[in-house]
Amino acid sequence: MIPETRQKTRVVASVVASLLTSALVTLGAAGVSAGAAASSGKVQTVHYWYWEDDPAVPTVPDLISKFNATHPGIHVVGQLVPFNSYQQKLTDAVAAGDAPDAARFKDWWLGEYAHKHLLVSLTPDIHKWTFASDVVSKYWDTGRTSPTSPVYMLPDEYITFYLYYRKDWFAAAHLSPPRTFSQFVTDAKKLTDPARHRYGFAMRGGGGGQDQWYAFLAAGGARLVNRHGQVVANSPKAIAVNQWYIDLVRKYHVAPPTAVSDSYPQLIADFEAGETAMMAHHIGSYTILKDALGNKLGVVPMPQANPSHPGTMGTMTGNVIFRSSPVQQAAWTFISWLSSPYAINILDHSPNAELPILKSVVDEPYFQKNPFWKVALDEEKYAHDWPPLPGVAAVSGHVWERTMDQALLGQITSRQMMDTIAATLKGK
Amino acid sequence: MSRRRRFRPRVWLWAMVGGWLGFALGPYVWMLFTSIKPTRELYRFPVQYFPHHPTLRAYGLLLRTTPFPEFMAHSLVVAASTVLATLLLALPAAFSLSRHRFRGKKAILSILVSVQFFPSVLLVLSLFPILRALDLLNTLVGLVVVYTAFVTPFSVWLLKGFFDGIPTEVDEAALVDGCSEVRALRHVLMPILVPGVVAAATYIFIFSWNEFLFALTFTSSNQARTLPIGLDSFIGNFLIRWNLLTAGGVISAVPIFLFFLLVQRRLISGLAAGAVKG
Amino acid sequence: MSTVSSRPAGRARRLRPLWYLMPAAVVVLGIIGYPVVRAIGFSFFHYNPLDVTGAHVRFVGLSNYLRALTNPGFQHAAVNSVIWIFGVVTVQFLLGLMGAVILNQRFRGRDVVRGLVLIPWATPSVLAAMMWMWILDGNYGVLNDLLHRVGLGFLAQPWFSQPGTALGSLMLIDVWQGIPFFAVMLLAAMQTIPGELLEAARLDRASAWRTFWAIKLPIIAPTVMITTLLRIVWTASYMDLILIITQGGPGYATLTVPADAYYTAYTDFAFGRAGAMAVIQALVLLGVVLAYLRLLSRQGILDA
Repeated sequence: MIPETRQKTRVVASVVASLLTSALVTLGAAGVSAGAAASSGKVQTVHYWYWEDDPAVPTVPDLISKFNATHPGIHVVGQLVPFNSYQQKLTDAVAAGDAPDAARFKDWWLGEYAHKHLLVSLTPDIHKWTFASDVVSKYWDTGRTSPTSPVYMLPDEYITFYLYYRKDWFAAAHLSPPRTFSQFVTDAKKLTDPARHRYGFAMRGGGGGQDQWYAFLAAGGARLVNRHGQVVANSPKAIAVNQWYIDLVRKYHVAPPTAVSDSYPQLIADFEAGETAMMAHHIGSYTILKDALGNKLGVVPMPQANPSHPGTMGTMTGNVIFRSSPVQQAAWTFISWLSSPYAINILDHSPNAELPILKSVVDEPYFQKNPFWKVALDEEKYAHDWPPLPGVAAVSGHVWERTMDQALLGQITSRQMMDTIAATLKGK
Repeated sequence: MSRRRRFRPRVWLWAMVGGWLGFALGPYVWMLFTSIKPTRELYRFPVQYFPHHPTLRAYGLLLRTTPFPEFMAHSLVVAASTVLATLLLALPAAFSLSRHRFRGKKAILSILVSVQFFPSVLLVLSLFPILRALDLLNTLVGLVVVYTAFVTPFSVWLLKGFFDGIPTEVDEAALVDGCSEVRALRHVLMPILVPGVVAAATYIFIFSWNEFLFALTFTSSNQARTLPIGLDSFIGNFLIRWNLLTAGGVISAVPIFLFFLLVQRRLISGLAAGAVKG
Repeated sequence: MSTVSSRPAGRARRLRPLWYLMPAAVVVLGIIGYPVVRAIGFSFFHYNPLDVTGAHVRFVGLSNYLRALTNPGFQHAAVNSVIWIFGVVTVQFLLGLMGAVILNQRFRGRDVVRGLVLIPWATPSVLAAMMWMWILDGNYGVLNDLLHRVGLGFLAQPWFSQPGTALGSLMLIDVWQGIPFFAVMLLAAMQTIPGELLEAARLDRASAWRTFWAIKLPIIAPTVMITTLLRIVWTASYMDLILIITQGGPGYATLTVPADAYYTAYTDFAFGRAGAMAVIQALVLLGVVLAYLRLLSRQGILDA
């Protein structure tokens, strides 16, 4: 028995050992360097977090190396955090006292973070900044928590929602793309034909759909907060516009049967596959849609309830500096460089592009001559951002989706939905 | 036994094997097709299964321009190390819980399993400072430590179950022969336990191979990232690189298949085999 | 029964079982103990993790528990969790047992089949979720397409978009991932069945079914009980698929307790309330485990 026993143990041991060694060999072959970033005495290291819109094109790391090459006193170490996990990972790091020095940021999160005094006021540095007067002036508000607060987030790129549509379908049906809400419903109905798997509108009822919804709310003339900063999300106007939006599914049946759960991947797939005729989104999906649909892809501004008082949804991506950072000045040097004409030009000519925030860049022919850029940039004047309230994180995190689904399924009314959202925005 | 009676069960067996293979590998076939589709052919209605213009571009991109091979190597190292570390801890503990009688055993078993009652997403916040204090953030060792801690309780339970399945007469005889307890464990019980140990090792390996949340939270650079993080990074904010994601899925299944192929023989080598041979 | 402790016992000998346990206990409690205790502690406080100065942390007694228990969302989540856990574990176990029996047969290509059918288990959740999301898509999904092609088009559904099918669809994915777990564990357990017993059964011309029921099952019983228990505990906290595919929707249709706790913690920043939800689930699971242990030791299946 004993020899056989030994043999078996040896076999198991050798299996494990060979697994380990083969793993280690692959590791060596993969060329893992110890990554010892030379930290000589004078160089300040800035830890910077970012996400990317297109994971296949490393625009931000390229920008970081360009910065490091031209700024000998500062070494920026970038960390890619996928967008879906960004907020969670940032929360854990902040709570553990391990926040980065600077980070890419959305205006939605500003309320929560600024109210907890986690962010540095950038106002004094902005006053001294060369390109401050080049920033589209309206954008400064996206970095504030109230019109009189300091600026906590330096704008970097902006997004406005507009309407993509299938040119070929509209031409075949002798329709022109909608300018008003009523035209939108009429067109959507005419283009809907469930027997052919065709639907007028790509409604996003699943994760992340709050931006599309807010764009229609704003276009319908409803507001989440009034100009005094009070929450009016459950005003009669807002309830009525929300009802109209719900009716696209429940009454007019112009959206696919999956609308209640459709999220971004489904939205793109349906539109590319030729299931939907119109889709509200922004410049972020331009590259892939153009690639897939070519000349069949058209764009118009968001249709409006009242075209003389237009509205849409806008959102800013910017950069913030954390109070806990020991290298705030170096971090400012980096993030202000990111928003300089040189860096903005590189970013907004890449597949990771959104709308440039500098007037000098906006005016370039590259952006002015292309309708997909031009329409989006022109909407900037009447775009509404999410209000900088702490409750916005909860609304966009799960409250909107939970209540929207129930409303689309007919389990709650438009009023009940808007009451819940208003209560969440007020912080209950 | 007539030929007929032998034939019918065979048909059933093959039908079940076929059905199981179809269910288990169906998604992987779809993954394979997706990985060789040009982007333009991704979304078609009605569904287009095989690409008109198949391309291996995604595999080239994945292996040449992304750190994916490194991530896979990290996963292998972490999983193999976790298997070793966990077995070293869990085997004596399971032996003790199975073969010794002492007070508080039920309490220990309950505590062991109860640390798993909490969703790890609520624990990660408080684990962070521990890892930082140990200077293990952004290291493969840190991941091995955390995985070992999380997978040990289940492994102890599993191994205790396999120990319980071996009659006590077996080790009794060894002890009567004058073996020390450790020797008895190593030379008499272990060989019989091989299938159980291999099953537990497989469990530990796969736990570490799949783990996402800790790997996401406790790594900050490519020098410690693992396979699930690599796959997740192909899902951008506005663009999902389906070709890279699916090519990564197909490639990562290869070492797993080889691992199983190697290990499965060891699953079938305990008492039964020995008894039949003997 | 107990062989070792019946020998003459000195102090060292009595302590020996504890020494065997010590390393495992130190590592497990050293790493997980503090986070667990802290999560339980949170549940009695109003605590926002972004409040790094601790200025707004305050003791609130049981109010987090009361708020959780009276919240309709949490009640939905509790019901879903029960369906999720018992549905998934039951189906995984039954199919896994069948799988173990199949893999224990002799047939050509068995080794390769064993390797192949285990692959779903080693599929990272993000990949499994993204693939199945596509396969089960209500518009252009592969499953619906196949149903149409074989003339079963009337069965095609928008799987994730209806409260009636969404949870079931997620459970299907979890079953897909989990069958190999049971298959491997039970296959390993079957190897401990003494060959002479099977030989005796064969000589008696016992049917395969009777052999399984009367001989195999009792011997693999400890493994069956332990693996189902572990799977229940594991499945209770598993929420990756839910977070990636449905985020708990439509409505509350796929929201489970850990998913509810996750959103409460990371989007509402109410860690105290999330902790209370987790503690409630942990208490229920503890009850299940204790009942299980008692049942097992009473039946003599497990020496605990």
